[in-house]
Amino acid sequence: MRQVRLIAINFAREQRWPILVLMLWVVVLNLMGLFRNLQMSGEDVLFLFKQVAAYGLAFAVFFGASAIHNERKTRRILSVLSKSVGREQYIGGLLCGIVFALSIFCSAMALTGTWLLKPAGFPVAHVWFLMLCLMMACVLAAAVAVLFSTFLNPLFATLSAILVLALPAVAAMQFDSRLAGAIPVVALVELLIRASFSENWTPQWNLLLLGLLESGLCWLAASWVFGRRDIAVAVD
Amino acid sequence: MPSGGVELLGIDCPCGRNDDLYGERLSTSYSEFGKILVERLWVSGGADRITYMAAALEFDGVSKQYNRWYSTRRVTALDALTLRVEPGEIFGFLGPNGAGKTTAIHLAMGFMRATTGQGRILGKPFGDAKTRSRIGFLAENVAFYYRPAEELVRFYGALNDVPRSSLARRSTEVLTAVGLLEYSRRNASKFSRGMLQRIGLAQALINDPELLLLDEPTSALDPLARVNVRELLTKMRNSGKTVFLSSHLLSEVELICDRVAVLNRGRLVRLGRTSDLLQTEQKLEITARGIPANGFPGSEVADGVVRFKIPSETQRAALEKVWQLGGEVLSVNPVRRSLEELFLQLTASSSSQAVNGGNE
Repeated sequence: MRQVRLIAINFAREQRWPILVLMLWVVVLNLMGLFRNLQMSGEDVLFLFKQVAAYGLAFAVFFGASAIHNERKTRRILSVLSKSVGREQYIGGLLCGIVFALSIFCSAMALTGTWLLKPAGFPVAHVWFLMLCLMMACVLAAAVAVLFSTFLNPLFATLSAILVLALPAVAAMQFDSRLAGAIPVVALVELLIRASFSENWTPQWNLLLLGLLESGLCWLAASWVFGRRDIAVAVD
Repeated sequence: MPSGGVELLGIDCPCGRNDDLYGERLSTSYSEFGKILVERLWVSGGADRITYMAAALEFDGVSKQYNRWYSTRRVTALDALTLRVEPGEIFGFLGPNGAGKTTAIHLAMGFMRATTGQGRILGKPFGDAKTRSRIGFLAENVAFYYRPAEELVRFYGALNDVPRSSLARRSTEVLTAVGLLEYSRRNASKFSRGMLQRIGLAQALINDPELLLLDEPTSALDPLARVNVRELLTKMRNSGKTVFLSSHLLSEVELICDRVAVLNRGRLVRLGRTSDLLQTEQKLEITARGIPANGFPGSEVADGVVRFKIPSETQRAALEKVWQLGGEVLSVNPVRRSLEELFLQLTASSSSQAVNGGNE
């Protein structure tokens, strides 16, 4: 567990600039919130809030698809894996690092949402639940991206992850709406996108649990694949 | 439990008691016992008899082939390597670029999986994560995270299960050992390549490893730092640790390695004690004064001193001839070739064999 924690913190530290960029959007949203009474209605604020929140998902895929590649490219992976670190711990560490980075973002967004949307009459519990959904969607998206990145380069890993994550939504449109929950990233994000002031919301814990379970499975699969892969590094 | 070997050598194993080994009292662990035993055997020239002890590193017919999914062509990086590195020795691993040295080391560290064959490191199969906490590793062309040196060394120590309570002390010790204590607060991004290599050595030593695997550890170091590293490695050997050293600096290998393996095109072409490998076919070099320059075939003259080489079986006759000619014998030494000469000879001959015989 110590190794996983160290790798996670190290990952978040190494990704400080992308995290900072992500947090900058939250700051911008807060700054806009300062002037909302002048120009924006509650619906406008909610729209902006959803938009900024969705960026988290893009960053999750980006973090997941590039994490292993970056470490290999810089050869830093050798000095980490030469220690008492199992491959499953390494993947677990990277995933925890991504979760840590995104939890900072989601927490900041939840606080921002509380500050901006509560005065307009949006339920605070709903804001926090939506951020929990976003967090879960990010974790699952990152786990799928990490799984693909164990055997594909970042570009193909990103494309494959997007394809796999979008597939249930496409299948739901074509065949059965229940298929949307098969890999519930789109379904979770949809909860956020469809949220409105008029909505009478009920928390859907089943999607969150399914997301958690599938993230765990992706971690296991990624560990299994990564454990059988050669760590080929560039020769200078 | 090495009981058979212990009995064979007439030495009782410690078993938690105080026992006598070559007149020395032992009251510590098996590993301590092992270290002293290896040391004694080494001194007495009996290292080849240590067959009961687990090898520090062992390759058993290990091959590695690379192939691309879009091509049927397979490149053999390592071809049935069989090698045994004994505990407590400094083992030199030599070979030209592309010989397969780094592949072998990466297989041992578990970064890669062998295509065929198997290996063990400190008694466990290659790739066992727990075993790596007893190993120190320095990769060729090291790359580290950008942070202060001390923090970096502590990070790697923590990854290697070094207890939190001793991390600070250990990091100070290893930074001192590699001569970087005064730069401990400087960010690694500002380090020269030589300093990075020294940091690499520090992180490899942080867990006080039983086995040190070093891939080109001194390639970027200045001469003084090289001497320090050499002393460090010798000290490690003397304290019973094993060092597996891959290097192109042959003079260095010649100076410190107990045994040497030469690899070429993925194949082991020579393995033996450094001293044995450097010994040529029983020749002696005699230097004498006061004899004619043409007194012996192939002799060289410098400042009145004649130097010539003879087969060792003709030593007596040659010395008598010097005296008959009225000369004075200054020295008689066995002829030794340098490791560089041996290396060039081995790699050139196996390369030409490969060209003639088709080594693909």
